[in-house]
Amino acid sequence: MTHYPPIHLEDLGISFDLRRSKKRVRRSIIGQTERLDEHGKFWAIRHISLTVESGESLAVIGANGAGKSTLLKTLAGIINPDEGKIEVRGSIATLLQLAAGFNDELNAEENILLVGEFLGVRSSEMKKKVQEILDFAAIGDFAESPVNTYSSGMRARLGFSVATSVEPDVLLLDEVLSTGDASFREKSRARIVELMEKARAIVYVTHDLQSAAQFCTKAIELEEGEIVASGPTSEVIANYTEKMAKRI
Amino acid sequence: MTIHSSELTVGRPRPGAIKGIAASLSALVQRRRLIWYLANSSLRSKGSDSLLGNAWLVIDPTIQLLIYYLLIGVILRRPEPAFPLFLFAAILPWRWFTQALTSSTESVRKMGKVMQQIVFPQIVLPIAAIGASLGSFAFGFLPLLVLYLVYPDRITVWILALPLVVLVQLLWTLPLAILLSASNVFYSDIGNLVKHFLRLAFYLSPALFSYDKLLKAAESYPIVVQILHLNPMAWVLIAYRDLLYYGRSPDWFGLCVVALVSIPFTIFSIYMFNRLSPNFAKVL
Repeated sequence: MTHYPPIHLEDLGISFDLRRSKKRVRRSIIGQTERLDEHGKFWAIRHISLTVESGESLAVIGANGAGKSTLLKTLAGIINPDEGKIEVRGSIATLLQLAAGFNDELNAEENILLVGEFLGVRSSEMKKKVQEILDFAAIGDFAESPVNTYSSGMRARLGFSVATSVEPDVLLLDEVLSTGDASFREKSRARIVELMEKARAIVYVTHDLQSAAQFCTKAIELEEGEIVASGPTSEVIANYTEKMAKRI
Repeated sequence: MTIHSSELTVGRPRPGAIKGIAASLSALVQRRRLIWYLANSSLRSKGSDSLLGNAWLVIDPTIQLLIYYLLIGVILRRPEPAFPLFLFAAILPWRWFTQALTSSTESVRKMGKVMQQIVFPQIVLPIAAIGASLGSFAFGFLPLLVLYLVYPDRITVWILALPLVVLVQLLWTLPLAILLSASNVFYSDIGNLVKHFLRLAFYLSPALFSYDKLLKAAESYPIVVQILHLNPMAWVLIAYRDLLYYGRSPDWFGLCVVALVSIPFTIFSIYMFNRLSPNFAKVL
């Protein structure tokens, strides 16, 4: 069998047609006219080429609006590329934002099954996981109550537990290491590390340079939608901190 | 649904029109539980924050019937014999039609947040909306049963043919719901237009009046008569009334035409949905 890397991008670009977008988006972009092309399209990311080999983890750093989240959504298959090539192999789990797909009227167990259905996990498989998820989230007596009675912390814990209950080949993370109170944060950190060890490839978008250095084997820095630096994590981070320090 | 670690999951070439439609249909079968959960929870959510809870599923159509009864039957003095039953036989399916279209129009847009985070076949959303409206339609039959206690001589065996007429209406609702749900993502104005259009269509459909009277009134305007004939919901509503009120055979030919037109229309709507859906996450 030929060997394929789990993630491979070639000259990838994502553009937003501003005529079709909401006015709100249009306004926020208006200051950045240099990123518009001759057709008035806004390129959130462009000319992205990278490969994540099996066993590697990639940190994506950069300022707000650099295109980090767009890159992650593209890797997840949520947004389709407008140019270039993308190849992601194996099952994917996204920890983009927590509690996605929850329905307020349903209780914890029903929501676990609902999210499982959204994710396309077989229901018999998901049912086996329900107890484990509930235990991890430490919902306690609220398991039978609809989710709209939960505190925001409980929601986030339940969301985290559901999202991390699958063991993906490709793990996409977006700043999720800071969920809940101190004790849950410890627990969730351990869970993420566990998932990372099992996953074949990881992409981790973050502003937390320390955890990026801790978890990732290599890194890229995005600026205005393009890769401006790439290499071993420590080098990219050192470069980035130096640049940021100069700017201040 | 286990995925091998070397299988390409993102970046597959987009399927052609026919393969895409087949994939959508099989996704609907595979995700039937998701459809069920979504429909179920939206049905439940309507009653959850009200005092009377899910009793509203029955109270709602009853009140609507009472209003039209007062308006048309008492104030305008236009009653047919057994007028409440005459009205209800048409208002009930019309309510389903309205709810199905208004809720499915919003169905995709409402799930924008989820679509930003999870990849799933989005075609389940309008279908789930239709499912929920079908559920509340079913509850409307309780007040209908009460009406039959008042007019027991109106019950005939033709009631047994009801599922067929429901099926025809379902077939006709599907393509409209799918097209509206997709286009409303790009232009939310459509949601507003749909409401007004449905109100207009209600008065053009034989819901409040008998179809014969409507035709007679329009006799001198042949164009209006043609438009009335071209309205598929007119055929459907007449069929309901034939079964539930007159207790006679509906016009099977008309129903078949509506059903046969709906099937290619549905396939076309799925095709359009597939064309538009890759852009949903970007626009929302």
